[in-house]
Amino acid sequence: MIKYFFVLICLVFAQLIEQNDLFDTPKNWPAPFYDFEKNKLTKEKILLGRVLFYDPILSKDSTISCNSCHSPFSAFTHVDHALSHGIHDSVGTRNSPALMNLAWQKKFMWDGAINNLDMQSLAPISHPAEMGSSMNDVVIKLNRNKIYKKLFNNAFKDSIATGEHTLKAIAQFMLTLVSSNSKYDKVMSNKAEFTVQEQNGYQIFKSNCAACHTEPLFTNGEFANNGLPLDSLLHDKGRMRITQKKEDAYQFKVPTLRNIEFSYPYMHDGRFKKLNEVLNHYANGIKKSETLDAKLQNGIVLNSNQKVDLIAFLLTLSDKEFLFDKKFSYPMEEIKTLTLSH
Amino acid sequence: MSKSISFCKFNITSKAYILCCFLLILVNQVFAQDNCQRVPLAISYNFKPLLLNDTAYAYKLKHKIKFEVFKFYISKITLIKSNQVVWQEDNSFHLIDIEENDSSALCLEIPEDTEFDAIQFNLGIDSLTNVSGALGGDLDPTKGMYWTWQNGYVNFKLQGTSDLCNNPKNEFEFHLGGYLKPFNNLQHIKLMVSNSNKFSISFNMEQFVNGLDLENINHIMSPSAIATELAQSAAKCFSIK
Repeated sequence: MIKYFFVLICLVFAQLIEQNDLFDTPKNWPAPFYDFEKNKLTKEKILLGRVLFYDPILSKDSTISCNSCHSPFSAFTHVDHALSHGIHDSVGTRNSPALMNLAWQKKFMWDGAINNLDMQSLAPISHPAEMGSSMNDVVIKLNRNKIYKKLFNNAFKDSIATGEHTLKAIAQFMLTLVSSNSKYDKVMSNKAEFTVQEQNGYQIFKSNCAACHTEPLFTNGEFANNGLPLDSLLHDKGRMRITQKKEDAYQFKVPTLRNIEFSYPYMHDGRFKKLNEVLNHYANGIKKSETLDAKLQNGIVLNSNQKVDLIAFLLTLSDKEFLFDKKFSYPMEEIKTLTLSH
Repeated sequence: MSKSISFCKFNITSKAYILCCFLLILVNQVFAQDNCQRVPLAISYNFKPLLLNDTAYAYKLKHKIKFEVFKFYISKITLIKSNQVVWQEDNSFHLIDIEENDSSALCLEIPEDTEFDAIQFNLGIDSLTNVSGALGGDLDPTKGMYWTWQNGYVNFKLQGTSDLCNNPKNEFEFHLGGYLKPFNNLQHIKLMVSNSNKFSISFNMEQFVNGLDLENINHIMSPSAIATELAQSAAKCFSIK
């Protein structure tokens, strides 16, 4: 009996080690919000998700993949495109968000429409101006493909693709996109030092920005109206579309500032190309309205030196290890191996 | 050394154990099928089984109505005896789709000799399930009952045409759902059962559409007060026969 118990402990331990190997909570970070118990990470499932992430098979005419609007080198957003693009050159209504540290995020999309990371990819797959497909069509296409049969079998012990398994696999890959190796992180763990300018910028950040862009994730996960003048063409009411409450009008998700150097353009509609423009907005561009965030009633007024220092600090949030991590890139080798072994 | 032996033993015993489990599951499966009580589910219009697509029904005196899609969820099926729960179905989610043959009855694994005088179920999916991520079976998003632009299951989906609808194709589309307050769309239904050995659940479509105002409201695609009202009226169209 004791022997079995010992073996059981060994097995549980092995499982734990594997889980830790695939996902690690960085030191001093809060516990992730995502419920890993419901979708336990495995190498095989992550690989399947990664292959799907880079495969245009998800779109109606097989032209657009997740990667089209979420490229690794721009922290998984679409550089230079204010609004997301989709099949037949259609243009969406919002700026595609950068993808990182999603295990800590409670709500997804600029308006928080999505309550669980598993269900997130359903939205772009089905949106007529994005991938224009449906989960049903995607599954039919996947089930015709011999490589996917193999990938699904390796991941779920079932070669038949289902909506549940497809979505869970994509979520697994997205969960592994953890960015926690910026200069800021190294300074926090005493492995590097800020320059004087960065240090000044950090102080300015803490007293002016941190209430919403809270460390260490650089977002408080809330929604806020940051006083952007209304775009009369898009007329986007943000969170109100979901909650249907007037007090939520023009509120959008507070985005993380990590890798902000690479995730331009900024704001839900990508209206600002440069960080300077963002700081100028907070200094003198804020439009007052009933739902304007209380903390922004007087704007954030900084002199030009302070702005330069703040930007110097914001650049310490760039995590090049994350941007160029081979684990997250197109799985060319893996696909080759699967094709050959077939 | 002793460790490796224990592993070895474990392997042999575990094989036997797995085999036993397998047999048990098999036996259980056969047993379960024997045990399943079929509760017919009848969807009717004017006392006849509802037909989709080409059948045009007389509607509100001089009008016509046709149905193209009718799907809904029944969940958390519970049996009641003198206000006490006597049985509750595990993992109780049923997508009823009039186009699927197996939707014509619910197969309930009610233990033998269970006495009950009422059946209780939900029309729709509870809020906890709505926030539980990707799920399979009848809850799989490929079933076309999950909103994509926002989260949440469509509890009740009815689509068709009627000359009363003031739009180019005379269409109506009711996607009723929503799990967040104040528009929680889920409906609790309790129906008395007089003969627990033989009973069927019926849904009276004529009653439901007679309560609609298709001239003015023919397109509900998101959670709202009207969606909740319509779900409440749909809940009243169920009865036991």
